Amino acid sequence: MNLALTIRDYRTTFILTGLGLSLFAVVLFSLTIGAVSIPVKDVAVIILQKIGLFKSIEVDGMYEIVLSTIRIPRIIMTILIGASLGISGAALQGLFRNPLVEPSLIGVSGGSASAVVLFIVFGGPAVMDVTGWIYNAILPLLAFAGGLLATFIVLRLSSQSGRTNIAVLVLTGVAINALAGAIIGLSIFYADENQLRTFTFWTLGDLGGASWSKLMIASPLLISSSLGLIFFSSSLNALALGEAEAYHVGVNVEQTKRIVIFLAALSVGVSVSLAGMIGFIGLIVPHVIRVSFYADNKLVLPASILGGALLLVLADVIARTIVTPSELPIGVVTALIGAPFFIGLLLNAKTKNEL
Amino acid sequence: MYSASNISYRVRDKVILQNIHLNIEPGTFTAIVGPNGAGKSTLLKVMTQEHTHYLGEVTINGKAARSFTPRELSWVRAVLPQITTVQFTFSVEQIVMLGRHGHHSTKKENADILEEVMELTGIAAFRERNFLTLSGGEQQRVQLARVLAQVWEETVYPRYILLDEPTSSLDIAQQQLIFSLAKKVCERNIGVMAIIHDLNQAVQFADHLYFLRNGNIVASGDAQQVFTKSNIEETFCCRVNVYHDPCNNCPYIIPERTASHLAINK
Repeated sequence: MNLALTIRDYRTTFILTGLGLSLFAVVLFSLTIGAVSIPVKDVAVIILQKIGLFKSIEVDGMYEIVLSTIRIPRIIMTILIGASLGISGAALQGLFRNPLVEPSLIGVSGGSASAVVLFIVFGGPAVMDVTGWIYNAILPLLAFAGGLLATFIVLRLSSQSGRTNIAVLVLTGVAINALAGAIIGLSIFYADENQLRTFTFWTLGDLGGASWSKLMIASPLLISSSLGLIFFSSSLNALALGEAEAYHVGVNVEQTKRIVIFLAALSVGVSVSLAGMIGFIGLIVPHVIRVSFYADNKLVLPASILGGALLLVLADVIARTIVTPSELPIGVVTALIGAPFFIGLLLNAKTKNEL
Repeated sequence: MYSASNISYRVRDKVILQNIHLNIEPGTFTAIVGPNGAGKSTLLKVMTQEHTHYLGEVTINGKAARSFTPRELSWVRAVLPQITTVQFTFSVEQIVMLGRHGHHSTKKENADILEEVMELTGIAAFRERNFLTLSGGEQQRVQLARVLAQVWEETVYPRYILLDEPTSSLDIAQQQLIFSLAKKVCERNIGVMAIIHDLNQAVQFADHLYFLRNGNIVASGDAQQVFTKSNIEETFCCRVNVYHDPCNNCPYIIPERTASHLAINK
């Protein structure tokens, strides 16, 4: 009699496998294109050599340098950031029971951005000149702290006796984002010409700064926070019924809230510190998955990891190729895809009277 | 036994509940009736441990409810709210399965429980449907199935379900259905407590009845015995006449038309 359930289990696996394979294909494709185009065969051989296979096959030395110093770190960073933004969005939407929540709405991105900008302008240069790795280590942590602080303020202001009022939450998020904007603006006012240009690109998102040394510090944080969030799929499902109901079925609601927000702030904060503000991934990806498949978080959370990575890698391919040899800021591409989608989402929700 | 002893609860200086004693016995149906604002829902939230800043003691099967973790609580008591809003599109089956969240049971055990509760509540036919597309009555039956799934397994200890005006937006047939299902599951060593607005329904289904007014218990005891004109009039400030319905072998009331002004001065 549990045939239906068995089919559902396979369905989840099937969808995740499909997304995983698509991601693999897009990643491979992405590695081949750019200023120097590298045949897929060589990409495959170089990657396999990196992990210790096919040592004997000769490959073009330049291909290898381009891949190992530029494209591979960049694609790993893109995957990690896309995945982190995707699952953070999915988890926060589940937590707040609202499909329109995205990390920036609750102040994470704004908080991270202001912390980073403040550091770069007022505290950064001294440290930056001394040692690169301290700078690389401090930046993600600061971004995380800034994101967490902003989220904490938003959550605190919108909660009363342990319950979060979503309308107040969104409004508080708007206020905190405005404040973050002011801090960023103020920092820009004091910045020099060079920093100004960096900021402009940074606020639009930039995956070009990828390097192995940054990844060494950021990737454990991103991987552990994303994987950590997956463990909450069952609790988030119960939260779909409401906070009181989730508590009745055995979820420790307050603890779940705190940990999920902590992990989401960690992932988004670190992502922002690596690549600036990349909008809409956290909003679109979980929504598309819910609409195309179903809302069970046992699917939505892992699929948002894969889908977020997939979408950001695709957006990066577009950003890198559409205006070669230059490249568009990634945030422009995600916003160009995301904004119309978000409007469509709002219109759709309006006709269904969900807002 | 699920007991509240000497419960008092206040919000700032306002007393919501005062010296409440209440027992839910396994295998029986206990109903709580009272006017709006009497503190019925607050009492339920104290019982479920949603409110924890109360004075007095709530015990479940002899153990202090405060000492339970949320998960442990989910093994002994389930709660059916008035209305459950679900934000995302979940199927009926997925909703019912949420009742098993706190349990460590196997997939097979869960699937068996799922079948039994869906069969009992008559929702198996639309198990794959989106919960949001169901009618109010169907939705509430799905939620009842979820609640039942949570406490369905026969265990050495009794389990309890608490219903907070579970039929307030349902038609008469659906109302009777929900209560008769709740009554039926008492057989499984489950104690039921329900807040019920309709007094006639309360006395039809309940074994024990509590009259709550202004945070105090006005009367309590065997449902048919305490279902008297004076208890009802004192609790609700409304003149009523009590009759006997031979069909259900049970009393029923009809309120007097001219009694309305009494409630203003209560």
